[in-house]
Amino acid sequence: MTKRFNLFSLAGLSGLAWLCSAGLAYAQQAGQPVMLSDLSAFKDPGKYWQVAGDVNADLSKQNVLSSSKGTGILVNTFSEKNRPKDLISNLQHSDADLELDFMMAKGSNSGIYFQGRYEVQLLDSWTDKVPKAGGNGGIYERWDESKPDGQKGYEGYAPRINASRAPGLWQHLKISFHAPRFDQNGKKIENAKFVRVELNGLVIHENIQMSGPTRGGYPDEVLLGPLRLQGDHGGVAFRNIKIASYDKPHPELFNLNYSLYKGKYEVDPDFSKLPPEAKGASTKLTSENSTIPNEYLIRYTGTIRILEPGDYNFNVSAKGGRGVLKINGQELKSASSGDPANKVANLPKGDFPFELTYSKYVSWHNSVLGLGISGPGVRYYYVGDEDVYGVPDPIQVDATDVTILRSFMDVQNWGRVVHAVSVGSPEQVHYTYDLDRGTIFQIWRGSFLDATPMWHDRGDGSSRPRGVAKILTKPVFTLAKLSSTQTAWKTDTVGANFRSKGYTLDTNGSPTFHYQIEGVNVSDMIKTSAEAQGLTREITVQNPTNGMYAKIAEDKTIQEISKGRYLIGDKSYYLQLNDTGVKPVLREINGNQELLVPVNGKVSYSIIF
Amino acid sequence: MKSFSIKNISSGIIRQTVAMLVSCIVAGGISQTVFAQESPKEEDFFKILRVSSPEGTILEVGGLTVLPNGDLGISTRRGDIYIAENPTSLRPYFRKFASGLHEILGLVYKDGAFYCAQRGELTKLKDTDMDGKADVYETVYSWPISGHYHEYSFGPKIGPDGSFFVSGNVAFGSEEWWRGESRVPYRGWMMKISEDGKMEPWATGMRSPAGLGMIDGELFYSDNQGDWMGSGGVWHVKKGSFVGHPAGLHWTGLPNSPITLTEEQFYAKIDKRQIKNAQGRYIKPENRVDEKFITVVDMKKNFPEFQSPAVWLPHGILGISNSEILKIPGNAFGPFGGQVLVGDQGQSKIMRVFMEKVNGEYQGASFDFRAGFQSGVLRMAFAKDGSLFVGETNRGWGSAGEANAGLQRLVYNNKIPFEMRAVRAMPDGFEIEFTKAVDRKSAEDLSSYSVESFIYKYHAVYGSPPVYKENCPIKGVKVSDDGMRARIVVSNLRPYYIHHINLEGVRGDDGSFSLVHPSAYYTLNNIPSGSKLSLSETSTKNSSLTAKKVPASGTKKAGQVLKPDQVLVSPDGPGGGAAVAKKPAAPTYDQVKGLLAKHTCTACHNPAKRQVGPGFVEIAKRKYSNERIVKLIHSPEPQNWPDYSTEMPPMPQVPKADALKIAAWINSLK
Repeated sequence: MTKRFNLFSLAGLSGLAWLCSAGLAYAQQAGQPVMLSDLSAFKDPGKYWQVAGDVNADLSKQNVLSSSKGTGILVNTFSEKNRPKDLISNLQHSDADLELDFMMAKGSNSGIYFQGRYEVQLLDSWTDKVPKAGGNGGIYERWDESKPDGQKGYEGYAPRINASRAPGLWQHLKISFHAPRFDQNGKKIENAKFVRVELNGLVIHENIQMSGPTRGGYPDEVLLGPLRLQGDHGGVAFRNIKIASYDKPHPELFNLNYSLYKGKYEVDPDFSKLPPEAKGASTKLTSENSTIPNEYLIRYTGTIRILEPGDYNFNVSAKGGRGVLKINGQELKSASSGDPANKVANLPKGDFPFELTYSKYVSWHNSVLGLGISGPGVRYYYVGDEDVYGVPDPIQVDATDVTILRSFMDVQNWGRVVHAVSVGSPEQVHYTYDLDRGTIFQIWRGSFLDATPMWHDRGDGSSRPRGVAKILTKPVFTLAKLSSTQTAWKTDTVGANFRSKGYTLDTNGSPTFHYQIEGVNVSDMIKTSAEAQGLTREITVQNPTNGMYAKIAEDKTIQEISKGRYLIGDKSYYLQLNDTGVKPVLREINGNQELLVPVNGKVSYSIIF
Repeated sequence: MKSFSIKNISSGIIRQTVAMLVSCIVAGGISQTVFAQESPKEEDFFKILRVSSPEGTILEVGGLTVLPNGDLGISTRRGDIYIAENPTSLRPYFRKFASGLHEILGLVYKDGAFYCAQRGELTKLKDTDMDGKADVYETVYSWPISGHYHEYSFGPKIGPDGSFFVSGNVAFGSEEWWRGESRVPYRGWMMKISEDGKMEPWATGMRSPAGLGMIDGELFYSDNQGDWMGSGGVWHVKKGSFVGHPAGLHWTGLPNSPITLTEEQFYAKIDKRQIKNAQGRYIKPENRVDEKFITVVDMKKNFPEFQSPAVWLPHGILGISNSEILKIPGNAFGPFGGQVLVGDQGQSKIMRVFMEKVNGEYQGASFDFRAGFQSGVLRMAFAKDGSLFVGETNRGWGSAGEANAGLQRLVYNNKIPFEMRAVRAMPDGFEIEFTKAVDRKSAEDLSSYSVESFIYKYHAVYGSPPVYKENCPIKGVKVSDDGMRARIVVSNLRPYYIHHINLEGVRGDDGSFSLVHPSAYYTLNNIPSGSKLSLSETSTKNSSLTAKKVPASGTKKAGQVLKPDQVLVSPDGPGGGAAVAKKPAAPTYDQVKGLLAKHTCTACHNPAKRQVGPGFVEIAKRKYSNERIVKLIHSPEPQNWPDYSTEMPPMPQVPKADALKIAAWINSLK
């Protein structure tokens, strides 16, 4: 260990004394991309790790990833004969945020070892109902060879929920990792920790302490280690790898003193002429040094020590009033007018006078004073009061059976679907249906719904998916009459004589929706498909009129990968036509591709994701 | 749980008795304790029982309906419909009949199916495979909705022709968050929907029409105080009625609209109070103390389709957020059979309304009936045994009953309470019908009665103080031979005004009991024609003109019997105050509680606890000066309390001296 890292670890420790956990939304900083124009970011990659321009898995073939020439995608071309070894980054990291897309081959197994030691498992386990430590997103178990068989594995951590996607689809992973800390003698004083792991938009781990490396990791523990991608168990691809490394000491505050003033100050007064009500030294930044509940100003002065020069962000939390932050006598400017609390400064190394004033005058708000800091190689951290005001207990709806819940549903970049029906299944495949248009507009896996916005307090009538839903389409009709296959799809509901007739439930509780459009009766049966691969949908139209089509997919790209099977968008889901006799129309309109099927009584397809 | 209610009642009585004893001691320096006989209270006749349900059942009740077999259908905010089998038994069985619906706020049962209003549609629910659960969730009619939180939909109620009535709340503006607006057709409207899904727009002007009621084939609805609504009340909703809130007029021109009044015509005559400040931001309209204003009386003149309430339920006195309107079956609740009950969410109580038709229009009297429910009273339905199921929720608005939800049962014990059974308008006053014979001496004494009248402003401001308050002198009284009726001759009767008729001094014929509820609020839409009484037929005796001065009737305790030679002074009366007047200290709770009740503060505020508004202790923590509190009583700043959903109306009618006294007391709680 070099001296530099000792300093780092000490600075980290000194911060702990006055660090309160952030009461704010979790903020992960933008990382540096790992260039994948070649394999130069990695040590001795061997010949079975390659850089590619595109990659495809086969849903029905074990461990096949086919790639095409190009750059930007890192591919492990595993085969039983040619087993790539693990890929080791040149980069050595300690605390780090990693964000990437990955794709599994069918039946494949891989993993990401932080510091070469602590593994987040990647596995094609997308249809597992019960998540396991050895499943996708699990924190792999540790191993003790001295124990009898069956007891060797320990301290593995299953993800909270299986949020995986099908092989051949891009999955998204965000991980915040905290490296172990050591004292001057190299003795470990703090465990490594997975601060947060998010898979496909769902938080699956938080604050998981690692008592040591997981099975297969390098056995020792260190402050710096490489990123290691497992290569010997199956085909996997990565892209958009970004890593933010936090190996720099964070700023420290010294010699904090406060002065308290009574009154309502919408601008800072001239402190030289104003006697304070109270003053004293403080070990932390807090509103609690004020004895006055409202209409007061508390002013902190002290020294801020910048150990790493560069651009810093300071997020001033001054609830129910205003906060002014000065460093070296200069008031810090806001990053943008839309985010006035977020101040920016470029700071050289050194000690500078620090001043933070908090003027509190909105009587109904709790006093909350705090400062969130991030900077070059410095992970965002927060010091100050926790804002616990008005945080309700979440009201969550789980789908242990087929579970239906109507609510308003907000769709990003579109608006509010007001006659929405969300349907969850015990297979953890969920969707939301728009009763005003007869359309499945979003699908997701993992936990079902958060109904807190609807059922807490007065509520606003809306619920939302727990996790990130895939928006299949903006809410438009599924069925329409077209004068030609070049006619644009209707985006409004005028003149279609659409009328919802509600839904009926089968014995499992799965709904079939009923409606009228263009004078015909439609029933729309949607079920979780066999083996939980997604949804199957069968639209039945009585006496269809001429020129009626169903629009079953819309995205930037729609690619037919085999007869009747389509890969939609940026490899975000598959669509499988279940009727081989139909002649689909794949058309491009307004820069988007649309997959239409002529309606001759029945339209049947599956969504696989 | 029976024992519970009994315990509550007895502790209530004990409390009151103690208070009386204390008042006697303080007042006259009487050394011996006086045995005080209590006037019976609501709870001595109507007991609140609970309906047992499985642990974890969240019954934020939005709809209640009794099935032909006596089972109780319950719909909830969480979107479930339960059927409680044997609902009046100790252990009803709860069957979940349907789930996943969108905040159901009404439920009926017709021809083997349930019908309910979800936020966005009228839905029919049927169990076709006979497994005890709905498998058909049929959209009868889907209405437009913008998705604003306040766009609740209520109903249905079944009309005489079998069709369904459903009402819809207005949304609020974005920048003008105080202004009710109808963003999409039929918000702020009453819709009539046939079983086969045809919708007929029926009436508009609704703001927050949480309570619908079918009474003898006629549709009624209740609303509550808000913008353009000075107070809650009960409206008769005829086809084409405009009941007061202008938002729905936006859709006057839609096909089949029975309304002819347009927004343009309306705002040509009425000030919208849509004013921007120097920064270009809209200013929230506030009550102006010295302004020329109009009332619903003027509105009737300006707009013939304007339908004012059949019966006002004065805000803060008879509720603050009125809900279900329900006719009492002829064989239930003794003397009140055939009359009407109205629930109230915020005050967690039930009011009683007697209606009559004069000149073809409904009008009548409203009374307090039964308070003390565990949460906001939203829905009511009569059980087969004549008891009343009460479905409750406050769903974030706060209520006097502290629970968020509840399902209770109100049971009558068949004893006759001494009450005004009815109040009828007469050409020269009112006739009061009692449930029991009165004591002639007190009933023939004019000092036993008082009448005053008032009305509300009609304006864009949230709520209204009572205005144009005037005394209505009583000239004579004629008590019927059987003592069951008293006809009072009253001068200064004003059409459309609310006449507060107070019978504080009238006693029952056993001489000891005052009325359980001595106040009636009669909405005098029309003064009937007919023969007037000659004063010679009446008693004109007025003991207050002859007897020694007694404390103001407002401070008298119910049940105190004043013998001519005995003068009691209660501690909040002028005499009792002297004892503490030596200290310039803040008044005590006992000294202000009369004022708090009189000015309806306690409708929303409790000394310590959060109710509809913050507890007085919480207000004290704001450390306002007394003068500032007076200002805030007269023109509140609801933005100071964003955590509370119901904003406080301006109360400029509270005299400064009273407000100062209240303020001093509040500040003593610090």
